[in-house]
Amino acid sequence: MISANEVMGYGLFALAGMLTVALVLLAVVLRRLRGAQRQARDREAEHQAVLDRLQENEYRLRAIIESEPECVKLQAEDGTVLEINPAGLRLVDADKLEDVVGKKIYCVVAPEYVDFYRENMRRVFSGESVVYEFKAITLRGRVAWMETHGVPLRDARGTIYALLGITRDITEHKNAEEQARRHQTELARVARLSTMGEMATGIAHELNQPLSAIANFARGCIRRLHADGMTPGELIEPLEEVCEQAERAGEILRHVRDFVRKSELQMKPLDINQIVRTVVKFTEHEARQQGAFVRLDLDAGLPRVQADAIMIEQVICNLVRNAVEAMADAQWSRRQVTILTRLIGGDVVEIEVGDSGPGIEATIIDQVFDQFFTTKPEGVGMGLSISRSIVESHGGRIRAESGRKGGATFRFTLQASDQQASGHERADSLHC
Amino acid sequence: MSEPTVFIVDDDEVVARSLRWLIETVKLKVETFSSAQRFLDGYDSSKPGCLVLDVRMPGMSGLDLQERLAAQRIHVPIIFITGHGDVQMAVRAVQSGAFDFVEKPFNDQDLLDRIQKAIVFDAGQRGKNMQRVQLRSLFASLTPREREVLDLVVEGMSNKAIANSLGLSAKTVEVHRAKVMEKMHARSVADLVKMAMQNQVEQ
Repeated sequence: MISANEVMGYGLFALAGMLTVALVLLAVVLRRLRGAQRQARDREAEHQAVLDRLQENEYRLRAIIESEPECVKLQAEDGTVLEINPAGLRLVDADKLEDVVGKKIYCVVAPEYVDFYRENMRRVFSGESVVYEFKAITLRGRVAWMETHGVPLRDARGTIYALLGITRDITEHKNAEEQARRHQTELARVARLSTMGEMATGIAHELNQPLSAIANFARGCIRRLHADGMTPGELIEPLEEVCEQAERAGEILRHVRDFVRKSELQMKPLDINQIVRTVVKFTEHEARQQGAFVRLDLDAGLPRVQADAIMIEQVICNLVRNAVEAMADAQWSRRQVTILTRLIGGDVVEIEVGDSGPGIEATIIDQVFDQFFTTKPEGVGMGLSISRSIVESHGGRIRAESGRKGGATFRFTLQASDQQASGHERADSLHC
Repeated sequence: MSEPTVFIVDDDEVVARSLRWLIETVKLKVETFSSAQRFLDGYDSSKPGCLVLDVRMPGMSGLDLQERLAAQRIHVPIIFITGHGDVQMAVRAVQSGAFDFVEKPFNDQDLLDRIQKAIVFDAGQRGKNMQRVQLRSLFASLTPREREVLDLVVEGMSNKAIANSLGLSAKTVEVHRAKVMEKMHARSVADLVKMAMQNQVEQ
């Protein structure tokens, strides 16, 4: 049997045990609570540090943007300026932020460029990064050329909410470019004038042909009329010839005038073989006087090229004249200039002018296109340099080669005109 | 002799046509060729006349054609048509035996006059040629003995001296001499001397 004492003793024992357990549990709970408290404190400090860093970053970023010498701005999809740095304000001649922020960027874009600008905005908001040039009119009415690098800015969900644009004033650069281009155009014209001077004999001959024919037909008519030997009806045919020849003379003069005109590039689809024949007509005589023959090897099935006829005539003319001059010392039987046209690739036409002269020394072949480089005692070294800039302004390439056995070859390329290209595309699509 | 023809070589067909129109007003026959090569291929050198030739032509030039004709001993008179600044060429052409040259644009009467002169010159050349050929055939008809007698007659020797020199009888010399006069269609000794001198000049 269990005595009461025993029972009591057992109960105490159990109580002590329970208390111990409770104490231990309490200690554990307290410990946990303290740990959580510490963790919360740590997290808060960490959070604060992140906030501080963020703030610091923003200050730094803002400082960078504010001191950035180029215009940095944010624009909404509708063109509203959200933010802009002081350099941006200066760029558009604004005194304070309110002049620009909240306003539409189109206020400072030249009217003829607004559509273009919108198109670039659209591209950025569809996710592209773009670089575009446009004409701007500042708040004070100053006209300037600008170049903007635009990139999309996305929020946390990846939605594009603004265009980040970095814009700089490229007016000076543009002007310099324009000036260089004008200079180049003028130089090319002066070169053409001098070429024309040297080709005066060829032109006079060309003009003499129709003039002689006109005189002969007219004199023939007068003589017959004096001799009473003809009816008015018989006069019609020779008089028609007279009219046609007068037009032919006019055509030649028009061509001469075009050749010396001072104007912008006039790109049109052209028959390159026709251009080659025109040049040969005017230069062949001089070539013959030097004892050189001009041989043509023209591909009749070429597409038209997109080019300015006068400019390309000038290039071919330069190359032919160089070829003839290069052969001044060559033996009689070897003096030949070959002009070749061919299609390389689907839409590139190549024009080749080769001679049978001594060729070009390997040490100078890379310099022949340089300005003022010449091997001729009386040369000024403009012909090939102008030729190169003309070809390059047409998006083509020009290069010189020298054969192992002598003979220099100049080749340049021109793009087939779009009309032809689209013609090819059409042809292709018909096959599909 | 057949009618004279004006041969025109010009690569510019309109100019050739206009020249034909002009030249036909003086009732001359005209043939046109659009290149030097076509002329060489189609020309009949037995036809009298003259050649009107453009100096500058693609391919074989007027000067090249002149050289070719000279090499083939074709002596048709050539009138060159030259343009401005081709004077050097014209000089070269005339030095190489061209008959004349006219500079474009030319006066119609001037050209027609030159053409007429060239045709007359050609007729004269052809006449002389004919004589030359005839004379050569006359001389060729003589026997070697008759030729010897002729040479001495021309030198002014008497029949007797000739007989002595050739070791013949005077009678035989007499017969040869009569034969020579007959064969050469000579009416007098003076005729004979003239013919002999012409023949000598040719040789």
